[in-house]
Amino acid sequence: MSARERLVRIASIDGLPIAAALVAAAVFFTAASPFFLTGENIRNLLIQSVFVILLAAGMTYVLIVGGIDLSVGSTTGLSAAMTLMTIMNGAPWPVGILAGIGTGVVVGVINGFFIAILQINAFIVTLATLSIGAGALQVITSGTQLTGVDSETFLALTKGNILGIPTGLVITLVIIALLEWVLLATPYGRSLFAVGTNPQAAFLAGTSIRRANFSVYLLSGVIAGAAGVLLASHLNSVQPGLGQGYELSAIAAAVLGGIALSGGRGSVWRSLIGALFLATLSQGLQLVGVDPLWFNIVTGASIVIAVAFDRATQHFIAGQLRSLARKQSHDISGGGLEAEALRSPAAAAPIEVQPAGAGNHEITSGARNI
Amino acid sequence: MSHDVVQAEVTRPPVGLPVLIEARGVGMRYPGVIALDGVDIKLRAGEIHALLGENGAGKSTLIGLLSGISTPDSGELFVDGVKQHFNSAKQAQALGISTIYQEQTLAPDLTVVQNVYFGRELRRGLLLDEGAMRRRVESLCGEFGLTAADLDSPVGALGALKQHVVQILKALAFDARVVILDEPTSGLEESERQLLFEHMGRLRDRGVALLWVTHRLDELFGLADVITVLRDSRLVASVNPAEHSPDSLVRLMVGRKRSEGEHLRVHDRSERIQSNSREEFIRLEHVSRYPLLRDISLSIRRGEILGLAGIAGAGRTELGRIILGADRPDSGSLFLDGKEVTIRSPRHATRLGISMVPEERKTQSILGTMSIANNISITDLGKVSRNNIVLDRRRENRLAKEAIRDLGIKSSSEQQKIVNLSGGNQQKAIVARCLFSGPSLMIFDEPTQGVDVAAKTDIYRLIYDFVDKGGAAVVISSELPELLHLSDRIAVMREGRLVDELAGVDRPGCLGSESEIAETIMAMAAREAGHSAAADTKEEMA
Amino acid sequence: MSTSSVIGISSTRWGKVLQNPSAGALLLVGVLVISMSIAFPTFPSAINAGNVANQMVFVLLLALGMTVVLITGGIDLSVGSIMGLSAGVGAYSINSGAPLILGLLAAVGAGAVLGLANGLMITRLGLPDFIATLAMLGIARGLLFLWTNGVPFIGYMLPEYYVISGLERPFGFITVPIIIAAVAVLAIIFVLRKTSFGRHAYGVGSNPHAALLSGVPVDRVKITAYVISGLMAGLTGMLMAGRTTTVAPTMGLGYEIAAIAAAIIGGAALTGGRGHALGAVLGALVLSITANAINIAGVSSTWQQVVTGSVLLLAVVFDRASALLRERSTRSAGRLAVT
Repeated sequence: MSARERLVRIASIDGLPIAAALVAAAVFFTAASPFFLTGENIRNLLIQSVFVILLAAGMTYVLIVGGIDLSVGSTTGLSAAMTLMTIMNGAPWPVGILAGIGTGVVVGVINGFFIAILQINAFIVTLATLSIGAGALQVITSGTQLTGVDSETFLALTKGNILGIPTGLVITLVIIALLEWVLLATPYGRSLFAVGTNPQAAFLAGTSIRRANFSVYLLSGVIAGAAGVLLASHLNSVQPGLGQGYELSAIAAAVLGGIALSGGRGSVWRSLIGALFLATLSQGLQLVGVDPLWFNIVTGASIVIAVAFDRATQHFIAGQLRSLARKQSHDISGGGLEAEALRSPAAAAPIEVQPAGAGNHEITSGARNI
Repeated sequence: MSHDVVQAEVTRPPVGLPVLIEARGVGMRYPGVIALDGVDIKLRAGEIHALLGENGAGKSTLIGLLSGISTPDSGELFVDGVKQHFNSAKQAQALGISTIYQEQTLAPDLTVVQNVYFGRELRRGLLLDEGAMRRRVESLCGEFGLTAADLDSPVGALGALKQHVVQILKALAFDARVVILDEPTSGLEESERQLLFEHMGRLRDRGVALLWVTHRLDELFGLADVITVLRDSRLVASVNPAEHSPDSLVRLMVGRKRSEGEHLRVHDRSERIQSNSREEFIRLEHVSRYPLLRDISLSIRRGEILGLAGIAGAGRTELGRIILGADRPDSGSLFLDGKEVTIRSPRHATRLGISMVPEERKTQSILGTMSIANNISITDLGKVSRNNIVLDRRRENRLAKEAIRDLGIKSSSEQQKIVNLSGGNQQKAIVARCLFSGPSLMIFDEPTQGVDVAAKTDIYRLIYDFVDKGGAAVVISSELPELLHLSDRIAVMREGRLVDELAGVDRPGCLGSESEIAETIMAMAAREAGHSAAADTKEEMA
Repeated sequence: MSTSSVIGISSTRWGKVLQNPSAGALLLVGVLVISMSIAFPTFPSAINAGNVANQMVFVLLLALGMTVVLITGGIDLSVGSIMGLSAGVGAYSINSGAPLILGLLAAVGAGAVLGLANGLMITRLGLPDFIATLAMLGIARGLLFLWTNGVPFIGYMLPEYYVISGLERPFGFITVPIIIAAVAVLAIIFVLRKTSFGRHAYGVGSNPHAALLSGVPVDRVKITAYVISGLMAGLTGMLMAGRTTTVAPTMGLGYEIAAIAAAIIGGAALTGGRGHALGAVLGALVLSITANAINIAGVSSTWQQVVTGSVLLLAVVFDRASALLRERSTRSAGRLAVT
């Protein structure tokens, strides 16, 4: 295997860059601040990142089928409000949890209906439900003070420990593991990849695109509902604007984990790494004295960098495969993987039409002379 | 490679017309495929030059070279006698070469005037000079049948003919001296077709050189001044239409039986069950989906291969999609084993035992980011899971390995990504996918497109094996030798209708030699109904 | 055939209305005005009309820029954030002693620069439009928070700014912002209809492939569209800063939704190639009258965001319905041609 082939193989390993970035960030902050690698700090870091971890997992499902869900942040906030409101009105805490998750179900069904059934642009639909959800949160919080639930059990959802691990984190990890399992080990999960990678082909091979689309938005809503319940337990109070911007973090975590916006690639595990990287960055920057307000900017910028990086990597791999194949096609005995890849659609060069502007002028003046 | 098949016939060139473009020995090869092999062609001012050939004969490649979209690997291009090396379409356009592609290259929301000048608007200072552009288009459009009202309506609202005219105007407005028309009559009604021919005549009278790609032989006579025929990426002949008939042109296009046809004969047909004893699997009655399918009645039997012949756009793929449930018919009914069914979706069709190998591998078949195993099992994930809940990877991999072995898919392992396979092996994997759900009917849409000869033979064998085990197969193919070779029966489609059915293709000798049958089918698919050859053989066996 | 005749009728009557969404928006404005006038006698007054007009300026300006972007087949989710950050730039410049006019120009210029950044991310880095502008939404908002440290900018209100922002109305309810908005509408009409950029914008959105083949500088057209959108957002931020007299870090939050809703109500298609400036005016009018109606009806203004989101959802459903209807009428035309 030549060095070049090895390079291509390494570049093809999904999730490698973000895992490396996570380790690098952790090492850097450990060196930069004595407080970074302490039990207390790590614990805080993890508790605070469970919401984004959850939302990123739901977003992973949506991105895998080639969609997007911008409404998760506002749904999280609304669900938190519904949970607290229900419990404060005297309902037992499990009912409160149901109310929170039910909120997510409602939003998910609305999104799924418009996107999967009516086939309207996903980002416009979820942008609208973002607005409606955030507005509803404002309406709810404007009249009443949502704070001070005293159900010990409910608050223990995030404050308690199971075997020394924060309960909220345990719940999150269980959900994450379940989602990863469903994605990788069930026929349903497989069908999502098929729809995301090539909807036409999946459809003709007998997969229901509508079912795949509807289910991921429903799931994303439910996850946002669950994140809202945890958030309510964590904060024990809800203000207007709660959850705002979480969608950005969730998308950032997912694309940092190498989940393609074009669909068909991704795993919950990798978006978890992406979320942890973002959390490490935010915590670490704070420890070395950077204003936490930088974090929004870092999140936004990381989306741009991650998508551009992914694109460059894919280009690199395709280009290398193509040139390897060109080299081998001269050698008649060659064949094998790379030569075949040349004829494959992924490596085949598209016919490029140059948007040349240079010839414009002459042609235009020529036309006048007719 | 030498031109050993047919020595190009030399025709007397029309006298005195200057040659605008000349290609000398141009060739183009992709790895493993020779797309064009040493072709010569001359386009003269004021001449309509027709380009004929079956699908895959190299017409598109030749057009691509002449219009600057691709650069030839060998040979030379001359424009006005000066050697040129095109790197972009823009360069060719600057030399007055305009190509009117089959695919839509107009902006549907812009008006006619806006489209004609799109990208090269006339301006006065910063402002668009609407008046000048409109006047110029008006002066051009009168003789091309566009009304003043048409000029201001969005191009998307116009019919196919008028859209062609807009493209012609676009070429004229920029002094195009060479206009390349890629199947301009597809999608046109008969009367519109005649109008388009008049327009082409007008272009010729202005001294424009036209290169006209067409499938329909009846159109050529009386209009084309020269006809060039390509076959198997090579130039067969440049002929004078006055010295030819449709039949002789068909003979040039189809040629004598290809040598590959001989070793393709892998199956002993005499052992096959006779047509009449086969039971019907699916029947279509008066199925229509406008505007592409009109009143189709057809039945497909178990143990039989039904070939669907027709030129591009005849509605064959659309028919396949209806049977697969990918589209719903507007009217008509389908019967499965004698019972009426509504096929709701491909998912439903899979459960009913119908599957399809689609036409476009890249866009409609392969799941690019996934492994061969995953690509194969997708049609029946229940088969590779425990209780329909958990995927059983081991079982999936074992079955995939079996399929890879049985179908002879060349790959490093079943975990290899499907995009890294060659076209032929990808196609075999797709066939494996369709077989995976245990179908009773398989629809093969252009199953050997872009596939090498060895894989072709393998795919033929797979189709035979399938029907021998009692399956019903539909094969859609633009390659006549392939259809003749595979089919027990051939249905011919034209413009969304079933025009004819040839039974007994499987019994050699009944309908004459293979090339005679090929000519008959070509005649039916490409011409107006009522041609004598078609009438002669029609329903002879049924 | 009865079904085809039903389709036939719908394609002649309802179809016409649906196929020309601006006519639909006009109808909607009419219905809103009439029903509001009947329900609330205070609605059809000159003062209220002035209120509506002054209120709609912000959404209108954003919707104009959004319309241009939508025509090219893109989307700009960052306008709300750009608006806030530009206002911050303006306020900061004035507070640091810049003359008023320079401060205002700085605000508008900042918007244009951020729009340029959007365009470059999309054309040069190849990011999908909504992801690039979503990232910009986060980045610009983050910068404003960081810069203000959560404390609003104040104290930049020079006397002339009151006039420019329309807080003081020397000419009655025709305020300076209304004049600016009118000029902007005319300018966008002019650009879209009279310049080759406008022509190219429609063509790029309508069929990008054809645009490439026709030699249109597609990337440049897209970048210009985002610059226009950013510029409009900067202008809006500058006016808003004067209206609210403080620049809170949350200024402009959620305005992208109103802008998209207004543009789509006005007939701009998400698929590109369609839309015009007057449509944006109608769309902004619909949103402003709705807001005004909520206000007059005594509904809490906290409902505003819910209403805006619902209107956006309705608008895209309408957009989709009209596309489906067009498709069906084409198919039924094919059917009629045979029968």
